[in-house]
Amino acid sequence: MPLGTLDRTPPPFFKQGPSSLSKLVFFSTLALFLMVADTRLKISQPLRAAVGTVLYPAQWLVMQPVYLMQNAGAYFSTVQSAQQTEAAARQKLALQALRATQVEQLTLENNRLRKLLALREQLSVASQPAEVLYDAADPYTRKVIIDRGMAQGIEAGSPVLDESGVLGQVTRVYPLVSEVTLVIDRDQAIPVLNTRTGARSVAYGDPVTHGGAMELRFMPADADVQAGDLLTTSGVDGLYPPGLPVAQVTKVERRADATFARIYCTPKALALGARHVMVLAPLRGQIPAPPAPEKSVPVAKRKGRP
Amino acid sequence: MIMRPGQQLLLPANPVFIWGSLLGAMLLNMAPNMGGLGRAAWTPDFLALVLVFWSVHQPLRVGVGAAFVFGLCMDVHQTALLGQHALSYTALSYFAITVHRRLLWFTVPSQAMQVLPLFLAAHAIALIIRLLGGGLFPGWTVLLAPLLEAALWPVASILLLLPQRRAPNPDANRPL
Repeated sequence: MPLGTLDRTPPPFFKQGPSSLSKLVFFSTLALFLMVADTRLKISQPLRAAVGTVLYPAQWLVMQPVYLMQNAGAYFSTVQSAQQTEAAARQKLALQALRATQVEQLTLENNRLRKLLALREQLSVASQPAEVLYDAADPYTRKVIIDRGMAQGIEAGSPVLDESGVLGQVTRVYPLVSEVTLVIDRDQAIPVLNTRTGARSVAYGDPVTHGGAMELRFMPADADVQAGDLLTTSGVDGLYPPGLPVAQVTKVERRADATFARIYCTPKALALGARHVMVLAPLRGQIPAPPAPEKSVPVAKRKGRP
Repeated sequence: MIMRPGQQLLLPANPVFIWGSLLGAMLLNMAPNMGGLGRAAWTPDFLALVLVFWSVHQPLRVGVGAAFVFGLCMDVHQTALLGQHALSYTALSYFAITVHRRLLWFTVPSQAMQVLPLFLAAHAIALIIRLLGGGLFPGWTVLLAPLLEAALWPVASILLLLPQRRAPNPDANRPL
């Protein structure tokens, strides 16, 4: 029998290291601790960033064939579809041209009125374009990955827009990519303003209703909301600049036995198909900080004293 | 070692091939979601399959610790809860090591039937953890993933044992 046919070293009989059961207990405990650190203590971001940086070359490698196939697909797409896209773009441009010409005049008028009223100048917001790389694979949430990160100065909490409205918010920043939670995610909430009535409320993500929608929660059953109302950011949160379109109300259900109305909205942004997006810097630095809450002594501590 | 009847004596496994195949499975896991399937819940977890395979065939080399580290990488890639895949892969690898002495006495199709509960358990762990954490139910297609993984077991047993099935004395007529 030639050499190299069998394992050269015999398997160890006595020195087998810790048993697999003890390893299972150790690593399960570690995993549970990581989960708690991730959800409650919020201290896992450095670990995530480190692993993300190590993984980046692998992700880059996997992206290459994907890009190649997308480019090949785009190359072989017919002239007809290109013409269709162009026609649609022209139509949209024509629709916007009217608004665009009005904007000049309105801006001028607005500036004069603001000066007249000695109002504060509109907040200016820094922005940078980004591209959506892929959907995050986690099926329990609704997130996407964009190609800008810490290296490009993206901050956690920045609003992300596409060409028609607010798409979401940057929730985690890695060195070279960042993670955007879409407005249709269940845990994502955004303060909005009804442009028809001026009433403020909060829109929550509702990923279950036909592939992704939003919901206005905790609105009284007799609230003045109609189907077709446009909701824009209200700007009271100190993150989103005011006036960005967020969603349109599609259906209002009022029941006699319920305290709150169920209000369904459709996001204006293409939540499931956005490719080119804009990341705005959060307004945090530009508005004065809210006053600190007064310190209150907890009741439980006073109890112990005589 | 007691020779199993009707099974070929295999060459020793190459550690480079073992770790390379695990890494390749991780890249393969990333490909469907980057390539347009998005967050489909039914895509089979190739990394889990290869981890179980090597935990069964080489339990001294690939074990619970490796499963944990690869799980952590998948968590970061998927932006899932940190520790979700780590926990499910840890359990998967532990169960695979507990059955490894028995499993290889069966034919490959019945091995696939016996690893199906392992994959079901791993997916159930992930599902329960996420639902407890307030996640969204990803739909019933999530049940397809363990079935597909078990169905891929014979494919994995052919592909991953190929280097060990080569001739011990290659010559001009039999180069591999």
